[in-house]
Amino acid sequence: MDHAPTPDSAAGRTDGPVQLALRGIRKSFQAKAGPVPVLDGLSFDILERDFVSIIGPSGCGKTTVFNVIAGLLEPDAGTMLFRGQPVAGLRGRVGYMMQKDLLFPWRTVLQNVMLGLEMKGTDPREATDTARHYLAQFGLGGFENAYPKTLSGGMRQRAALIRTLIMDPDILLLDEPFSALDYQTRLYLEGVLLDAVERFGKTVVLVTHDIDEAVALSKRVVVLGGRPSRVKNVHPIVLGDRSPIGARSDPRFSDYFHTLCGELDIQTRGGTASSHAEAA
Amino acid sequence: MTTHALKSAAQAEAERPAAIRRGPGPLARAVDTTLGRGLIQAIAVAVFFAAWEIAVDAGWLTEFLVGAPSGIWRVFRASLMDGSLAVDTWYTLIEAILGFVIGTIAGSLAGLGLWYSVLVARVVEPFIVAINSVPKIALAPIVILWFGTGFVSKVALAVSLTALVALIAAYQAARDADPDLQALMASMGASKNRIFRSVIVPSTLPAIIGMFRINIGFALVGAVVGEFISSQRGLGHMIYNASSLYDLNTVWVGLFVLMFVGFVLYHVIDVVERRILPWRQVSTAGGIQV
Repeated sequence: MDHAPTPDSAAGRTDGPVQLALRGIRKSFQAKAGPVPVLDGLSFDILERDFVSIIGPSGCGKTTVFNVIAGLLEPDAGTMLFRGQPVAGLRGRVGYMMQKDLLFPWRTVLQNVMLGLEMKGTDPREATDTARHYLAQFGLGGFENAYPKTLSGGMRQRAALIRTLIMDPDILLLDEPFSALDYQTRLYLEGVLLDAVERFGKTVVLVTHDIDEAVALSKRVVVLGGRPSRVKNVHPIVLGDRSPIGARSDPRFSDYFHTLCGELDIQTRGGTASSHAEAA
Repeated sequence: MTTHALKSAAQAEAERPAAIRRGPGPLARAVDTTLGRGLIQAIAVAVFFAAWEIAVDAGWLTEFLVGAPSGIWRVFRASLMDGSLAVDTWYTLIEAILGFVIGTIAGSLAGLGLWYSVLVARVVEPFIVAINSVPKIALAPIVILWFGTGFVSKVALAVSLTALVALIAAYQAARDADPDLQALMASMGASKNRIFRSVIVPSTLPAIIGMFRINIGFALVGAVVGEFISSQRGLGHMIYNASSLYDLNTVWVGLFVLMFVGFVLYHVIDVVERRILPWRQVSTAGGIQV
């Protein structure tokens, strides 16, 4: 075992078949003073139709994990198994969403949404129809020919989500996708995301520093810690209502929130985390 | 909740406090139309030429050294009538345009191509900087030696002036292309060629078209300087010959036509830009005035 065995992480694995398994992923970056290890033998599982959040203190290599899964960075050591088969990375099988909407400013909303279909070589007319259908479904009908520049941040991020979903990826990789938005828009888009994930039966890996968002959206939360970082713990999250507001109103929500803050050495309640204070 | 997301830029602009929407006063706003601005510009030009003519008539300026608007007009009409002005303009125009097109296309392609290989780019960078630091006009005598005194040498000189500008602008723009957009494409499984076509080329176009404006000027410099050194035709030839004969009015005709040619080409690029970059024309907020 690469991380401390806990009853939580054991329970997290029994939910369903494993879709993506990371085993002993190591990665270091070259700096002037020599290699700086970032990931020190990271291992965890992502289940079919899972919603996993990866949280950790800033600089813990969350985005590195993200890029390794996406196949944009090659790990120094370790393996990834996709449905049991070893894979180098998931290029072409993941949908990718970041804090920046990454819409192409020279493409209209429709053309942006069609990007993935174009790359797959879908017949242009068919791709246009599909894209129009998705835009209408997500309330962006009528904005097909608008350029991203003319849309609000929330609408742009919604278009980015459609672009991700329309490619029908195996796994959605989200790197703090809503953190640049105001709270209202963010709650709204969290709802849109949850609905879409449910409807299309997608697996989601969310990288975030936002514990509130991780608890509200996830089925499981992977906590990274240490330098270089390892998996500190995996917490299954069980809440009755999975809507963004419903989840936050669940009485168990604040327990999860405080537990995770404790894991990250954030002092939330007077005294309870005092032993961690100097570490933070 | 969508209402917030849908709040238009125009609304946001309307909600801006009045204090920072200062802007022009009522007179400026009344005059600030296409017609109004054109009228002011026409008056400025008329006053300038009238003052010049009067100064020459009154003997404050010597026509022999500065020319005079009436004389310029006479030369202009005569050279227009006998067709020599059209021929000279045509030569210079074609030399400049050919030089611009060849230099700009070759330079841009080379600059964009450097995006493909960081190694090659790093190796050639000092050479590019070194070659670029040579004042290209200093190459003119060699270019004439190599390409003769005719049409080709002027085009070659215009190419030498524009190619490196294009290369550097295109390379710089390609290097500045958003790495996150490239990562997004890569995560979708895009090939390097695909990323080049879908991200690098479109994101460098604004910088490349901006460089067109600079290069149009350089191409004209190349054509005219080439004609100064040795030629039988062209506006540069016309200007050089006339000035050696102290025929200042003819020099001015050449200069004004050159100015006109540059002006027209500049606006042609505006039209091209609007065609190629429609996404840059949309404005987000109704222009903020300070």
